Amino acid sequence: MQDRLTFKEILQDLAKAQASGEGKPLVGWTCTYLPVEILEAAGLQPYRILPEPSSEKADGYLDPNMCPLVKTNLGKAITGGYSFLSGIIILNTCDGMRRLYDAWRFYCPSPFSFLLDVPKTVTSLSVSYFKERLKELATQVEKHFKVEITTDSLNQAIEEANLTRSLSRRLISLQGRGAPPVKHSELLDLLSLGSRTPRSVFNKALEKMVRVLEGEPAGVSNAYRLLLTGSSLDGSALVRLIEELGGEVTISDICPGTRFVDYVEPSADPLFSLSHAYLHKTACARMFDSESRISALKESLLKSKAQGVVYFSLKFCDPFLYEAPFLEEALRELDIPVLFLEGEYTGRVGGGVRTRVQAFLEMLEKNGK
Amino acid sequence: MENERAREKLIKWAVKSPLTYRLLRPVLDLLTRKNDNEPFKIWVRFLLDAMNNSYARKQPVVWMSAFTPSEIAYGMGYVPFMPEIIASVVTYLGKSKGPIALANAYASSDLCSFHRCALGLVMEDYLPKPDLIISSSYLCEGANKFFHYLASYYRCPHLMVDAPYRGGSAAKKYVADQLKELVDKSSRLLGLVPDMSVMSQALELSNKARAYIAEINRLRRSRPSPFPGSEGLSYLAGMVFYSLGSKWGVDFFKTLHLSLEQKVAKGEGYLPEEKYRLLWLHHIRPYYKNEIFKILEEKKAAVSFEETNYLYWPALEPSKPYESLADKIISNIWAGSLERRVHAIEEMVEEYDIDGVIHFSHWGCRQSCGGAAVVGDVLKQKGLPYIVLPGDGADPDNFSPGQTRTRLEALIEMLG
Repeated sequence: MQDRLTFKEILQDLAKAQASGEGKPLVGWTCTYLPVEILEAAGLQPYRILPEPSSEKADGYLDPNMCPLVKTNLGKAITGGYSFLSGIIILNTCDGMRRLYDAWRFYCPSPFSFLLDVPKTVTSLSVSYFKERLKELATQVEKHFKVEITTDSLNQAIEEANLTRSLSRRLISLQGRGAPPVKHSELLDLLSLGSRTPRSVFNKALEKMVRVLEGEPAGVSNAYRLLLTGSSLDGSALVRLIEELGGEVTISDICPGTRFVDYVEPSADPLFSLSHAYLHKTACARMFDSESRISALKESLLKSKAQGVVYFSLKFCDPFLYEAPFLEEALRELDIPVLFLEGEYTGRVGGGVRTRVQAFLEMLEKNGK
Repeated sequence: MENERAREKLIKWAVKSPLTYRLLRPVLDLLTRKNDNEPFKIWVRFLLDAMNNSYARKQPVVWMSAFTPSEIAYGMGYVPFMPEIIASVVTYLGKSKGPIALANAYASSDLCSFHRCALGLVMEDYLPKPDLIISSSYLCEGANKFFHYLASYYRCPHLMVDAPYRGGSAAKKYVADQLKELVDKSSRLLGLVPDMSVMSQALELSNKARAYIAEINRLRRSRPSPFPGSEGLSYLAGMVFYSLGSKWGVDFFKTLHLSLEQKVAKGEGYLPEEKYRLLWLHHIRPYYKNEIFKILEEKKAAVSFEETNYLYWPALEPSKPYESLADKIISNIWAGSLERRVHAIEEMVEEYDIDGVIHFSHWGCRQSCGGAAVVGDVLKQKGLPYIVLPGDGADPDNFSPGQTRTRLEALIEMLG
């Protein structure tokens, strides 16, 4: 009981801290391929742009067949919801994000806008190329914000971010070992807040939390263990529904969530280290090589002993929609049941989804999975 | 039922037999002997030849995404096969509904219908099997995943050129290095030794065709419009995607140039009477039977030019194939930021003396449709009438004739 309260308090503290940014200029960003260490080394506060699902959608400014997350992002920006940001960095993640970058600059220009070009492949050529683009980003940030980014400040930011990553992994490893001391929905809320909170505040909170939870004995859980993968979720409503219906998400590979870099090597060439580590992180479906994503998912499945997979794709999300048959086939070969869900960015789970999740869990029960 | 199955089997056999295409050539030549549209006849012959080569498999068959420069395949001695273009031909022949329905069982119906049509054709085993697949990452986010899935389906290798968002020397080097790697890797995979003199020849042929394209585009500025936009969006665009780097490309564009030169000299337009000049945005149009161009003709509105035929790349340097093709890729106006496309559109509006603009918003295409509002607002600020025409290039079930007519009539009203 005490731990639950601690968790809630931690979330509340983080929510307060994210708004302040410790007085640093807040710079919005959209995709986990951005090495936020560059912004932190520049004395800026990275702020992940994830609009509340209730935000206004920019239906009149983007085609009806565009990603609902992109439309919500633009809607919130146009209605002044991001006016507190000193700049935005959008990544070359997908067609939707590229068009978001165009429309954002056209309809509600930010004082600083930058599109970071992220390669789709992981090769020595792409690592070198991405390093060049990171150098360009660093130069533009230095110029606009009149700051200096040094090798030392980058390495310091990398080390602090490494601490976040290692604490986050420790927290995630507590999932699926029996009755989870922290539910996956709570974990996602925490990581989501972490992407907007000053690093030092977040690290302290995480450390406190991990220390308490690691001391807890593993409980017994009869819930059906599931792996959740797919595109951006509109909050943790789907995970809460799974938990409510007797499932347990033991691991997820969604965005925002656990699809982050493992470790970045501090070095004499920190931009190269960042380029290398970020391109080698658990891949999003936007990357060329579906096989490495699928093989990472298979590994996660084995580790977490998940009995089924829930694959969620936002409507019109090409990378995940195109990859769906690929993944379904790979999992079929492993005899792992998959529930494919396609949805809007609304923050609500409709009756149809509830029924399908319920039927999926019943199917797992019948199959004795 | 038995008869139906036997009929399907026979059709499939005919589609997959190179002999069909060799026999069709003289038959079509005979049937079209009175048709004076020579460029169209070359397109048909080109397609028949491409199909013959793809099914005969005397050279490696390499599937390519539409925006991957075809010069690579011709320069390597491969037979290029472009499923997205073939899907548009299948749609033109009125046969896209079946494959799309089949693919819908596996893929979301919100994905591009050209990809779904091609996927259905793959599943029905109508297409020539690829020895290798090559795609490029720009413009269309879905294409890479689509081709990657097909590579897994056919268990063949898939190589991709990762095209950067921005130009500049680092970007050019990144692409040129990848192209070199692609040539080396594909040769190893297919057991061939690349002959760079053939690659240089392909670039020379592409340059010859490019020079004719430049002249064709210049002639199309004439009033009245000498060439129909509906054809600019079909076989003309098809040849730009599929034939550059081959002798077919040179032959086609040379013939089209000659034909337009004669028309312009005589002051002939493609419409009986031309009152308005329109620009069509997006690379495609609906290829199944529809009344869009008939409605425009009734209103005396000519589609004078299409952005897909905008000549965006510089002449290639045959002695520097990798750098040259890298230049072609990074100068694509539809890749990167929307400003580049908007500037090109403004230039086309000026050069073709455009009165109004139609943005065809193909369902499932995020890259083009995502920019339609910004493009429209820029043009409207200049006082240019602009409409978004929602529709679907390959799926006739996703097309609303009533709504289309209303929108086109609204545009004409705006034109006054």
